[in-house]
Amino acid sequence: MANKKNYGMVIDTRVCVGCSACVYACKSENAVPEGYCRDWVVQETKGNFPKLTMENRSERCQHCENAPCVTYCPTRASHYAEDGTVQINRSLCTGCKACLAACPYDARYIHPDGFADKCSLCHHRIEQGLKTACVSVCPTGSLHLVDFNDPDEEAQKLMAGRIVYRQKEHAGTGPSLFWISASNKPGA
Amino acid sequence: MDHWQNFSRRDFIKISSLFLAGSAAMSSSAGQAFSGLGQSGSDENSDRIVYSFCEHCFWRCGIAAHVRDGKVYKIVGSEHHPLSQGKLCPRGTGGIGLLYDPDRLQHPLIRETKGGKQYYRKASWDEATGMVAEKLYGIHEKYGPGAIAMLHHGFGVSFFKQMFSQIGVNKFAKPSYDLCCGPARQASVLTYGYPSGTPEGFDIKNSKYMIFFGTHFGENMHNTAVQEISEGIRRGAKIAVFDPRFSTIAGKAEHWLPIKPGTDIAMMQGLMHVLISENLYDRSFVQHHTVGFGELWDSVRKMTPEKVAEITEIPADAIRTVAREFAFNAPAAFVHSGRRTNWYGDALQRIRAIHILNALVGNFKMPGGVVNFDKFVLKKPKTAHAHPPYEKSVYSRYPFFPDDEPSNTIASHEIVQQAISGEIKALMIYGVNLPETMTLGRETAIEALRKVDFMVAVDVLPAEVTGYADVVLPECTYLERYDALDAGRNFRTPFVALRQPAVPPMYESKPGNQIAKMITDKWGMHGVFPASVEAGLDKTLKMTGSSLEEIKKTGVIVRPETDLYRKPGVALNLKTPSGKIELASSRLRAAGFDAVPRYTPQPEAPAGFYRMLTGRKPMLTFGRTANNRFLGDVATAKENEVWVNTETAAKHDLNNDEYVHLKNQAGVVSEFPVKVKVTQRIRPDAVFMVHGFGHTAAKMTWAYKRGASHNQLISRTDIDPAMGSVGFQNNFVTFIKEA
Amino acid sequence: MTATAATEIISTKINPNVVPHLHIWEWQIPLYLFLGGMAGGLLVITSIMIVLKRKFGIGPKDAGEGCPCLAIRIGSALSPILLAVGMIFLFLDLAHPLYVWAFYTTVQPTSPMSAGSWILVAFFPLAVLQAMLVNKRQLRTFDVGIVHKVLDWTEGHMTIVALVNAHIGVGIGIYTGILLSFFSARPLWSSSILGMLFLVSGISAAAALMLLLAPEEEKPIYSMIDANAIWIELVTVGLFVLGGLTGSANSSGAMMHLIGGNAVMAGIPYAYWFWGLFVGAGLLVPLLLEFLEAAGVHIKYPNVAPIMVLTGGMLLRFLIVFAGQSYHTFM
Ligand SMILES: Nc1nc2c(c(=O)[nH]1)N[C@H]1C(S)=C(S)[C@@H](COP(=O)(O)OP(=O)(O)OC[C@H]3O[C@@H](n4cnc5c(=O)[nH]c(N)nc54)[C@H](O)[C@@H]3O)O[C@H]1N2
Ligand SMILES: Nc1nc2c(c(=O)[nH]1)N[C@H]1C(S)=C(S)[C@@H](COP(=O)(O)OP(=O)(O)OC[C@H]3O[C@@H](n4cnc5c(=O)[nH]c(N)nc54)[C@H](O)[C@@H]3O)O[C@H]1N2
Ligand code: SF4
Ligand code: SF4
Ligand code: SF4
Ligand code: SF4
Ligand code: SF4
Ligand SMILES: [Mo]
Repeated sequence: MANKKNYGMVIDTRVCVGCSACVYACKSENAVPEGYCRDWVVQETKGNFPKLTMENRSERCQHCENAPCVTYCPTRASHYAEDGTVQINRSLCTGCKACLAACPYDARYIHPDGFADKCSLCHHRIEQGLKTACVSVCPTGSLHLVDFNDPDEEAQKLMAGRIVYRQKEHAGTGPSLFWISASNKPGA
Repeated sequence: MDHWQNFSRRDFIKISSLFLAGSAAMSSSAGQAFSGLGQSGSDENSDRIVYSFCEHCFWRCGIAAHVRDGKVYKIVGSEHHPLSQGKLCPRGTGGIGLLYDPDRLQHPLIRETKGGKQYYRKASWDEATGMVAEKLYGIHEKYGPGAIAMLHHGFGVSFFKQMFSQIGVNKFAKPSYDLCCGPARQASVLTYGYPSGTPEGFDIKNSKYMIFFGTHFGENMHNTAVQEISEGIRRGAKIAVFDPRFSTIAGKAEHWLPIKPGTDIAMMQGLMHVLISENLYDRSFVQHHTVGFGELWDSVRKMTPEKVAEITEIPADAIRTVAREFAFNAPAAFVHSGRRTNWYGDALQRIRAIHILNALVGNFKMPGGVVNFDKFVLKKPKTAHAHPPYEKSVYSRYPFFPDDEPSNTIASHEIVQQAISGEIKALMIYGVNLPETMTLGRETAIEALRKVDFMVAVDVLPAEVTGYADVVLPECTYLERYDALDAGRNFRTPFVALRQPAVPPMYESKPGNQIAKMITDKWGMHGVFPASVEAGLDKTLKMTGSSLEEIKKTGVIVRPETDLYRKPGVALNLKTPSGKIELASSRLRAAGFDAVPRYTPQPEAPAGFYRMLTGRKPMLTFGRTANNRFLGDVATAKENEVWVNTETAAKHDLNNDEYVHLKNQAGVVSEFPVKVKVTQRIRPDAVFMVHGFGHTAAKMTWAYKRGASHNQLISRTDIDPAMGSVGFQNNFVTFIKEA
Repeated sequence: MTATAATEIISTKINPNVVPHLHIWEWQIPLYLFLGGMAGGLLVITSIMIVLKRKFGIGPKDAGEGCPCLAIRIGSALSPILLAVGMIFLFLDLAHPLYVWAFYTTVQPTSPMSAGSWILVAFFPLAVLQAMLVNKRQLRTFDVGIVHKVLDWTEGHMTIVALVNAHIGVGIGIYTGILLSFFSARPLWSSSILGMLFLVSGISAAAALMLLLAPEEEKPIYSMIDANAIWIELVTVGLFVLGGLTGSANSSGAMMHLIGGNAVMAGIPYAYWFWGLFVGAGLLVPLLLEFLEAAGVHIKYPNVAPIMVLTGGMLLRFLIVFAGQSYHTFM
C-alpha cells in the first residue's frame, strides 16, 4: 500500500498534570473491566526538598515495532496490524500469559473473560477517523496520536528541538511512544 | 423550650433492617451496570448522544452522554460547550459511576421510632412530600418564615428556592460561599466593585507569567483553566507557585517557593514592597485608576524582602526575582486569586492583597491579566405567582456579606448556630453533606442537625447527612433530569447551557423540579411551576430567540467573544465608592476594618504537632464522588494519604505506607487510620491530607472507612469578621502509631 | 534530609497481573515444569540405559524376552504419564483452556511456548512407543490387535527409538528452562544457564525417582547417577548464581532478590528456601548421603536422600517461577 499507516503517540509530559482523565476515558470507551486498566498515569518526583522536579506521564502499550509479546505468542493471537499497531485476536488467545511475561512495559493484563488485553490504540476509533478516547479527553493536550508515515510529519513538528526519549530502548523493542521530557525549558 | 427534648434525641441512623432490605432489592442489578457496559469496537453510529452539563463540581462543563440500549455507557466532553471544548476532567467522565452507584437512595424514607429504636421506613412520594409540606407549613405558621432555612450546594436547587419563596422563606446558605470562595468574591467587590465569577477573571490564555498562592491547578481540575494553563506552558509562559507543598502545578513552575503556611499576606506585602521600592509598578495606571496608593505604601514600607524572608522562610532574593519577573511580564501577568480561599479567617484581606498586586502592575482588563468575563443575559418570564415579601434580604450579621445573592443570604455556620440556639426549627438540606462539610466542625454540625424540630435532606446518596433527616427525598442524578438553564458562568464567549436527562430516573428517584412542585401542590399553591419543566424551559428559551428543541441539539447557545480589554485613557467607572480600583478600601475603613491588608501571624503548632493542610485529588470531589466505584478504580483514588516530610517522618519513626491515626491539638483522634506518605514534597512543619475521605455512613459501601476524614480533625475555625468566611487551617495534628 | 536524590513514583496502575509485580503463574506452572523436567530426565536415563545395555552390555540384568530391568520399565512408562499430568496443570493454567487448539494452528519458532507445544507432539508418540516396547511382555498378554501390530513393527528398533528419545528427553528438559529464560523482560529468568540447570535438575530428580522405585539390586546404579547429577547440578547452580551476580544491574538485582532478598514465599524468605532448603536439604545433604551409601555406610532410611532430591527439584521450580515474577520488570 502506498500510504500505509504507522500509528504511535507523542506524549508531551511538560503539560500532563497526571489527572488520569485518560484512564477513565479508556475504561468507559473500551469497557475495561473493573480492577484493570489499559492506560495508567505515573507521577515521578526527583530530588530533595526544596529542589524537586516532576514528570507526569500517561502510559500504555508502546505498540512496539519489534514486539516481544508478538514474538512469544504461541498462537498468533498477538500480531502486528496493518496500521503499525500491535493487536490481539481474542478468538485465538489461549490466555497462556506468555505475552504478559514478555512485555518489558507490563502493558498487558488477563481479561476476566480469559484473554490477554491491552491498549488497542482505539483501533475501532482510528478506523472511523476519530482520535483515541484518551487523546480526545485529555484536558492538557498532552497526548498526540500520530502517524509516523504521515508526510506532514506532525510528529516531527512536535518533537523538533525538544528533549525527547523513548522508554527502555535498550530492550530492542522499538517502542512507538515518544515522550517530550518535562525537563524541557519553558517554551522549548 | 420543651419541644427540644423530644427531638434532641434524634439518632443518626446507621443501619436499619428495613432500609437495608429496601435498598438491597435492586442494588445487585445496578452494581453490574457499569462493568461490562458497552462493547469495545463500539459503533459510534448506534449511540444516542445527549448534550448536557456536569454536576461533579461547580465548574459545570458541557458533556455529551453516549447512550446505548438505554444505558449511559460513556460521557465525553461536549465539543460545543465553551468550558469543556470537547475535553473533560476525570470526574466528568465518572458520571456513570454516580448514575449506576448501587448504593443510591432509591425511594423516599421517613424516620420512625418503634420500641425505642429509630429506623427509616420506605414511603411513597405522596406521603413523604405530604409530610414535608405539612411540617414546613406548621413551623412556618407557628414561628414564621425565619424559623426555616435551607443549606444547599448544587445546581438543582433552584426549584426549591422557588418553592420556598412561596411562603416567604429566603434564609439560604451555600457553604460554597463561606467555606470556599466567598473571600474571593467579596475581595473583588471591595477592590473592583464587582464579584468574581466562575471561571475566575484571569486571561490565562494570553498570559506570560502566572503566580499561584496555593491554588493547585492540576489537582483542582477546573477543566477550562487547566486547558488554558497547559496552552500557556506550551507557549512558554512562566509560572511561580507559593505552596508549602510541591503541588502538581509547582512541578510545572519555574519557581516553587515552599512558603511557610499562613504567611502569605506577608509575602504579598513583600512583593508589593519590591514593586514599589524598585519602581517596577505601573505608575500611570496607579495614578489614574486607583485610590489609596499612599496608604498602601505606608503599610508595606517596612516589609522589605529581608524582613519578609524571615517571616515566610523564602529567601529575599527569590522574592525580588518573582516581583521583578512579574513586573517585567506585566500586563500579561497575574496573581491568581484561587478558589478555596478561606484559609485562616483573614482571607478577604489576603485576596485583596492579590488584587492589589495585580493593580500595581496595571494588568486590569489587559491581555493576559485580570479580566471580567460576561454572563449570558437570559430574560426570564414573570412567575405566575408573586411571592409574599421576605423579612430581610440578608440575614447574616457580617457587614460584608453579599447583599446581591438571593440564594445566599446567611453564612452556613450562622444557620448551624441558629439551629442550635433554636431560632431555626426546620432545615432543608439540598446536596450538602453537612457532617463532613466543616461548618464549625463535625460535632457542632451534628448538634445542629439533632436539634432542629424537622430536617429534610434531598440527596442522591445515603451520605452522612441523610442519616439525621426526618425525611429523605431521593433526587435523581444530573444525568436523569432537567434543571434550570445555566446562564451563571462568566466566559469570554458568554453562553447558556441546558441540562437534560440522558436516561429516565432510576428506581423511584425524582428530579428536583418534580419534588418541589409536589410540595407546593401540597400547600395548595398550584401553578407555581409550569405544567412541565420542558414547557418552562421552552418558554424561557423562546424569549431568547431559541427553543428547547433547538438547544437540545448541542446543549448550549454561545454568544460571540466579547471585548475584554480596556481602552487607554478611558476611566474605569467601577462600582466602588471611588469608581476606581481601591488599593485602600474606603468601605472597609468605614466599617472599622483595615483599609489595606495587614499581615498578622497565625498561631504556631504545639511541639510535635504539624499544621494540617488540605487539597484535592484530581479524580474526586469529596462527597460528590466519594462512593463512585468507577472513579475509585485507579490505585491513587482508593483512599487519602497523610503527606509527611521525610525529616518529620524520621522524627516520629513513620514508614512509608504505614497506617497511623491522627490526633489534633484538641485531642480529637481520627476514627479511621490513614496511610502515611513519606515525601520530599512538603515542608517539614506541615502535613497534607485530601478532604472527602473517612466516611462513617455505612451504607455508602464503597466510601465507608476509606482513609481518614479531614473534616473530623477540625476543632478550631477562624471566622472572617468582615464577610463571615470560615478558615480552618489553624488545626494541627500529630501521629498515633498503631499498637 | 538524605543526601542522595530521592525518586518518588506514584502510579495509578491496578492490573493485578503485573502490579505490584508480575503475577501470572501460580502453582500449576512450577509443577508442570517439575513434572516435565522429570519426564525428560526419565526419558534420558531410561533411553541411555537401554542403549548402554544393548550396545555395550552395561547395566542391570534384563528381565528377559527383550525387556529391560524393572526400573527402566517403570521409568519409561512414567515418563509420558508424568508429562501428561504436567500438561494437565499447564492446561489448567490457561485463562481460556477451550482455545488450546490454537497452539496447533501455527508454528511460531520464536515462541518457546509454541516450540514447546510442538516438541510435545514429537515426545508423546516416541516416549509411549518406548514405554510399550520395554513392557511388551505384559502388553502382549492383553492381546489387543493394534498393540500387537505396533510392537511387531518396531520390536527390532528399540535401540534407535531409545537413541532418538535420549535427545528428545534432553530437549524437553532444556525446554522447561528455556521457556522461562527467553523472557528477557524478567531479569531472573533471562539467563542462558537456566535451560541447563533445569535439565540437570530434571535428570537428578528422575534418577532419584528411579532410585526410589528400583528393586534393591538395581538401586546402586541410580544412586550413582543421582550423585553425579547432583554434582553437576551444584556446579550449574553455582554458575547460575555467579552469572546473575556478575551480570547487569538487572540480573544481579534479580539474583540478590532470590538468594539474599527479604521477599518471602509461604512466609519464609527466598534466601532460606534457596540456601537452606534447595541447596542444603535438596542437594548437599542427599549428595552426602549418597556418598556415604557408595562408601558402604548404610543408613537406616535409604529413601530419605531421593525424597530430598525430589523435593529440592520441585522447590527449585517454585522458587525460580515465583522469584522471577516477584522481582520487578527489567529496567
Ligand atoms: N479534582 C478536583 N477538583 C476540584 C475539587 C475537587 O474536589 N476535586 N474541588 C473544587 C472546589 S469546591 C474548590 S473550592 C477548589 C479548591 O482548589 P484550590 O482553590 O486550588 O484550593 P487551595 O486551597 O487554594 O489549594 C490547595 C493548595 O494550597 C496549599 N496551601 C495550603 N495552605 C497554604 C498556605 O497557607 N499558603 C499557601 N501559599 N498555600 C497553602 C496546599 O498545600 C494545596 O496545595 O477545587 C475545585 N476543584
Ligand atoms: N474539612 C473540609 N471541609 C470542607 C472543605 C475542605 O477542604 N475540608 N472544602 C469546602 C469546600 S471548598 C466546599 S465547596 C464545600 C463543598 O461541600 P458540599 O457541597 O457539602 O460537597 P459534597 O461533599 O460534594 O456534598 C455534596 C452532597 O451532594 C450530594 N449530591 C450529589 N449530586 C447531587 C444532586 O444531583 N442532587 C442532590 N440533591 N444532591 C446531590 C452528594 O451525595 C453529597 O452528599 O466543602 C467545604 N468543606
Ligand atoms: S488526561 Fe492528559 S493530563 Fe490527564 S493524566 Fe492523562 S495525559 Fe495527563
Ligand atoms: S508494549 Fe508490551 S504489549 Fe505493547 S507491543 Fe510492546 S511488548 Fe507488546
Ligand atoms: S495470552 Fe494470548 S495473546 Fe498472550 S501469548 Fe498467550 S495466546 Fe498469545
Ligand atoms: S488508545 Fe484507546 S485503548 Fe489505548 S489507552 Fe488510549 S483509550 Fe485506551
Ligand atoms: S471541571 Fe470536571 S467535575 Fe467540574 S464540571 Fe468540569 S468536568 Fe465536571
Ligand atoms: Mo469549594
